[in-house]
Formats: sequence, structure tokens, C-alpha cells
Amino acid sequence: MKYLGLVLANLGRNKLRSALTGAAIMLAVLLVCLLLTMPAGLDLFLNNIANNTRISVHNKAGIVYAMPSSFTRKVRQVDGVAAAVAMTWFGGAFEEAGRVTFPNFAVEGEHIGAVYPDYNIPPEQLADFRRYRDGAIVGRQTMKKYGWKIGDRVTLRSAVWPVALDFRIVGEIPSDRAPLFWMNREYLDEALKAQGRPGLTIAGIIWVRAADPTRVNAIMRQIDEMSRNSEAETACETEKSFFANFFGSLQGFVTIILVVTALVALCIVFIAANTASMGVRERAAEIAILKAIGFGRRVIFGTLLAEAVTLSTVAGLAGVLLSKVLTDALRAFAGWSPSLGPLSSFIVTSAVIVQGIFLSLFVGMLAGIVPSYGAARKPVVATLHEVF
Amino acid sequence: MLPLSYSLRNVQARPGRTLMTASVIALVVVASSLFLGLISSLKRTLVTSGNPRNLVVMRKGSDNDGSSQLTIEAYQAIRYFDGIARDAQDQPLASPELVVQPFFHTRDGGRENVLVRGVEPVALAVHDSVHIVEGRMFLPSQGEAVVGRSVLGRYAGAELGNVLEFGRGKWKVVGIFDADGSSFESEVWVDVRELANDAKRPFPYSGIRLRAATPSDIEPLQRRINDDPRFAIEAQRETDYYAKQSESANSLYVLVIGIAVLAGIGAGFGAANTMYAAVQARTAEIGTLRALGFSRRAILLAFQVEAVALAGVGFVIGAACALGLAALLRVMLGGVAFGAATFTTNVVTLRVRSGDLLGALGLAVVIGLFGGFGPAWRAARMRPIDALRKA
Repeated sequence: MKYLGLVLANLGRNKLRSALTGAAIMLAVLLVCLLLTMPAGLDLFLNNIANNTRISVHNKAGIVYAMPSSFTRKVRQVDGVAAAVAMTWFGGAFEEAGRVTFPNFAVEGEHIGAVYPDYNIPPEQLADFRRYRDGAIVGRQTMKKYGWKIGDRVTLRSAVWPVALDFRIVGEIPSDRAPLFWMNREYLDEALKAQGRPGLTIAGIIWVRAADPTRVNAIMRQIDEMSRNSEAETACETEKSFFANFFGSLQGFVTIILVVTALVALCIVFIAANTASMGVRERAAEIAILKAIGFGRRVIFGTLLAEAVTLSTVAGLAGVLLSKVLTDALRAFAGWSPSLGPLSSFIVTSAVIVQGIFLSLFVGMLAGIVPSYGAARKPVVATLHEVF
Repeated sequence: MLPLSYSLRNVQARPGRTLMTASVIALVVVASSLFLGLISSLKRTLVTSGNPRNLVVMRKGSDNDGSSQLTIEAYQAIRYFDGIARDAQDQPLASPELVVQPFFHTRDGGRENVLVRGVEPVALAVHDSVHIVEGRMFLPSQGEAVVGRSVLGRYAGAELGNVLEFGRGKWKVVGIFDADGSSFESEVWVDVRELANDAKRPFPYSGIRLRAATPSDIEPLQRRINDDPRFAIEAQRETDYYAKQSESANSLYVLVIGIAVLAGIGAGFGAANTMYAAVQARTAEIGTLRALGFSRRAILLAFQVEAVALAGVGFVIGAACALGLAALLRVMLGGVAFGAATFTTNVVTLRVRSGDLLGALGLAVVIGLFGGFGPAWRAARMRPIDALRKA
């Protein structure tokens, strides 16, 4: 600790250079943190749903292959099923947007709350959803995006069904990251029947909540068994596996992002190593004198290394902080993007913060170690010779 | 004016330090050109899918044919509209199509949504970039399929003569098609009726692709379809449709350019450090040059040129690495699968083209200018007397 003054003084002797190096490290750490938020956002998303008891039941052939909605009733009778709800993609576009800008589904009002107790939708709003056929429950992210309030009326035109429906918003999913829009199945069913069509007889996905987490696998087996040799054989998955698969197709893209992250991290080490060696070379005479008057190698090595590590840590912390500020701003502007899904939520998790700090420590060590070691090892006479 | 060789030789004077700084710039060049290449490859794949003479007819409000459904009445009405090209048998070149995205199992056990397009034989006349290159076109109602070149070998059973399992049925692969590198190559085509049966769709079609008789027929035809009050449908040029699809890649552009600029600024700081050190080391030299009568502007320019040359070295190294890395990724990953746009897998062949390198070159030059200006300014502002005294 008593050498702290020396370390700081050395950092301050070429303020411009220290500032430039610090800024470079800060930017690089910021960059790495921003990139890490993408897989971290996905991870967080998946881990949040990892230990819940929800199961997705969908057609074995694909999510776009429907199941008869009557299958939901059979699913509810399966031992250990607490609740089940049939969901059908509505594909509605809000008039002003002209295209699908948030995911919207037709659901069963009387069952939805029981399948999603963790969404914390107020019971009186769920009651309103059941009461009003044209009711809708909307995620807060979408509410905010369009400035909707509970009680507002909105019209969605479906691209999938030949209808355009008016809704009254009766409830909100109280999470800033929920883009969802739920409507009543009966409402869509009636609208189709009014056109002389068969009505809504299919379900895209049946979401099931198991009463007991240990029963999840048994329930999944039993549901799949029940549908065997029927028109629509099902494939059950846990919610985590469902979403992991759903976004698995982005894997190639994420891999490339991570490769580039590694490249950028390498880039930081280069910059910092370059600067550290410049600093040491310039101070050759001074280091030789320090040694000549009796400072040990260890002290020389330690102070030089501490200099590099101090700089990179301070810069790294600034980078991490900046990434937090930036992502908060980004989130405010960018909403749910249909092509990126949860990857579009840039969240600086604590894991990212820790990784960022470790990265900056590591950069400081790596950049400082070679020149510091070299300077500490160099014989005094040789150095003094060079200088004088 | 100082001769150009003064700046260039100085770049060579300290090869170690030059290489260090240049490699930082090179890394930025690698990152940015790879990213740009990835996105432009994706966009190229999508954009080349559109034919300027074709119209895409979908339900209003749907932004891709995977999320559109059309009634049979709509197809029958539109099919005989004026302005649609006709084939030798005087049949309209109107291709009713059903798009479904079933699960396909990749050979490494993963699962991807692949775009399966149910078509009639007329589809090959409407999509004239699609050619069967091996085998033959499927026969209707035989459980046969033809697969695009990028699908080939990516999924279990996706080989000529093999059986592909998707949806509820099994499909025999009887042909392979290519489509000038467009996104059709990531699709599987089967008989439209068989697919509708297999998927049990309440509506038989997703949309219709039309070929206009002449380019001047496009607009009236489009207007007539859009204004038809019976069906809420919408026609757009196929080129516009795919251009819109490729816009989903624009959000990636923002991300990538953001990353490249941040990394570039970082590298700029690195370059500035090197150049400041160079200026400091050559204080006496600068003093001498000033004493000899070289103007401030000449010195500013000389150092600025040196910085840009340094960035140029970085660019050359980086561009070579980027091309190599892209080739390596092509071999290792095959195509890069994008799940973007319509939730179907688009297999994109990563190619770093001159346009992407040009973007990276621009960035490298800016890094050189931006990193070199401060040091060059300092060199130019030096008072000759002070500079010489220091020596």
C-alpha cells in the first residue's frame, strides 16, 4: 500500500496517454458487455422459466400444425394437471402499425389465470376478462409502446383469420418485458361463425401447469401417449425447452457474435500491452535508478503491474457502468422485435457485470505482466549503460 | 511539402510498434467486415428472391406469407383478373401457394422450422429463377418433394432418393433445385393439396404469386386487387415483399454498426497513443524540419499521412484475415442459419464482398484520421526552438 503514491504518480505522468488507454479499455469492456447481454438476456429469459411447472403441448409436426381444441379437455383430466389453456395465434396487426408488432393469441379466459399465476395479473382484471367477451389482457411493454390504458378500445386486423376485431383492454400483465396480447377464444369463434365458417376448432399450443414439479415428466409422457395414433400426435416440452428450441435457430448468429466478442477482447489486450510497454521503455532510466538505490525486483514488478491493473480496472468499471446506462436507454427505445425475440432485450445481468470486471482485471494483468517482468529482470548496469 | 516517402518510411521505422497498432486496427477491420458481410449476405439472399414482374398477394396486414391465409374464393376471383400473364395453354400464371413451417430435424439432433411451400406445377413458370438441377419435379398426390440446395444434407433424409419426414407424413425427395442463391434455396416444395391435407389448414392457401403480362400491367393489377372490397387482400411487388423481409435485417445493421463504431473509437485511441509516442520520439527531428523551413501545415500533413498509412497497413492485414475467416466459417458452419424474418430458417452463405470491405476501409481510414489528428496537431504546433533545445 505504501507504494500506492508511486503507482498513481506514474499513471499521472503522461495523463494524455493514460486517458487514451483508459478510454480504449473502457470502450472495449463496454462493447464486450453489450454483446454479452444478448446471450445473457436469452439465458435470463430461459432461467426465469426454468424451474416453473409449465408444459407446452403442441403438434409433433411443428408449432404451425394445429391440434383439435377439444384435446384441451382431455389434457385437463390428466392426473397432476392443475390447469391447461388452449392458445391460438391470432396474428393481429394494430391499425397504426399495419403489421404484427406484438404477439397476440386467442386464449380461454376462464383458464388463462390458472396457467400463468406467476404473471401476477390482478384477479379483478382476470374476472373482467372473463366477463367481457371482447376483453383483452395486454403486456405492459405493448401498453407503454402505444400509450394504451385499461379501458381503451383497440382494433386488430388478423392476417390469419378473415376478421378484424375490436377489443377493450381490461387488464395488464405487469411486467415491462411482456409484449403479449391475449383475447377471448369465444370472441374469435363467434366472429368466424358469423361469417358462416366452422368457428375456432383448433389450438396451436396447449399450455399446461403441473400441480407438482416432480410430476412434470410423467404428465408429458401421459399426454403424448394419449394422442398416439390420433390425427394430431403431440410432443410435450417444458417451457424452457420450448423457448430454447424456438430461438435455437439464432444459434449461428449468436456464435458469430461471440467469436467477434473474443476478437474485440483480444484487441483490448493489444492496446493495453502496447501502452504499458511504451510507458516502461520511457522510464528505463528511472527504473534502473530505483534499482540502483536498492529497490527490489519484486517491488519494481509489483508497482508496474499495479499501474496497469489500476488503470484497466478503473476503465473497466466505467465501461460496465456505461453499458448499464446504455442498455437502459436502448430498452426504452427498442421494443419487442419479432425477429430477435428475447435477444432483443439487452439486459445487463449481474453475471455480465462480473464478467466485465474480471475481463478488465485480466486485461490489466496480461498487459502489464510482460513489460513489468522485463523491466524488473533487466540488469541495472545494462539499463544505465543504455541511458547514459 | 514533405515527401510522401517521409511518412511511409516512418511507418516502417519501428516495425514492432507499427505492427502492434496495425493489428488492433486489423481486428476492428475483421470484426466490422465480417459483420457487414453476414448481414449483406442475408440481405442478398432475401432481395434476390424477388422478381420485378411478380406480385405477391396476401391477406392485408400480414408481413410474410407464413402468417397469411387466403380463402379459395379469393384465389378463384383473382386468377382471372386482367393483366396476368398466360402460358402456352392460355392458363394464367397465377401460382396459389401454401406456406407451412414444420419442424425439421437437423443431423446433429437440433430442430429448425423450415419453410415448406405447397405449390402447383405453374409455380416453376412464375418463379423462373427456380430450376430443378437434379432429379425431377414432384408429381402431385404421390407424397413427393423437391428440396432447395441449402436444405440438401442439412436435415435428416434431405438427400435425393431419401425419405424426408416432416408434418404428419413421409415425403420422398425426387429433385433438387437451385434459385440463383436466393432464399428459395432454403425451402422444400411439395404439392399444395397434399400439404393442406397434411397441415389440416382451415384455408387452403397462404397467398398467390402472380406474373404480370407486361411491366405496365403491374400497377393496374395491383390497384384492382387492393381495391377489391370482397376480400381484405393486398398485392405488392415481389421485389418490395422481399425488400421488406430483408428490412428485418436492418435492426441487425444498427447493432453491428454500433459495435463497429465503438470498437473503431477504441482502436482510434490506440492509434493516437502510438502516434503521440512517435511525435514525442521525433521531437528533435520535427524541430529540425521546422528550422529548415517546412511549414506547420506540411508537418501536420506528414503525420496525418503517417497515421492513415498505419491504418492502411491494419486494413490490409484485417481484410486478409476477414476473407480467410469467412472462408473458414463457410467450411466449418456450412451456411449460417438465420431464424430471423419469418421464424423460418434461412441458410445464408457468408461471403465478405468488396462492399463490406469498403465499409471496413472507410472505418480504418477514419480511425487513422481521428487517431492521428491530435498527435499531428501537437507536432505542427511545436516551436522549433523548444523542440531543438530538447534535443
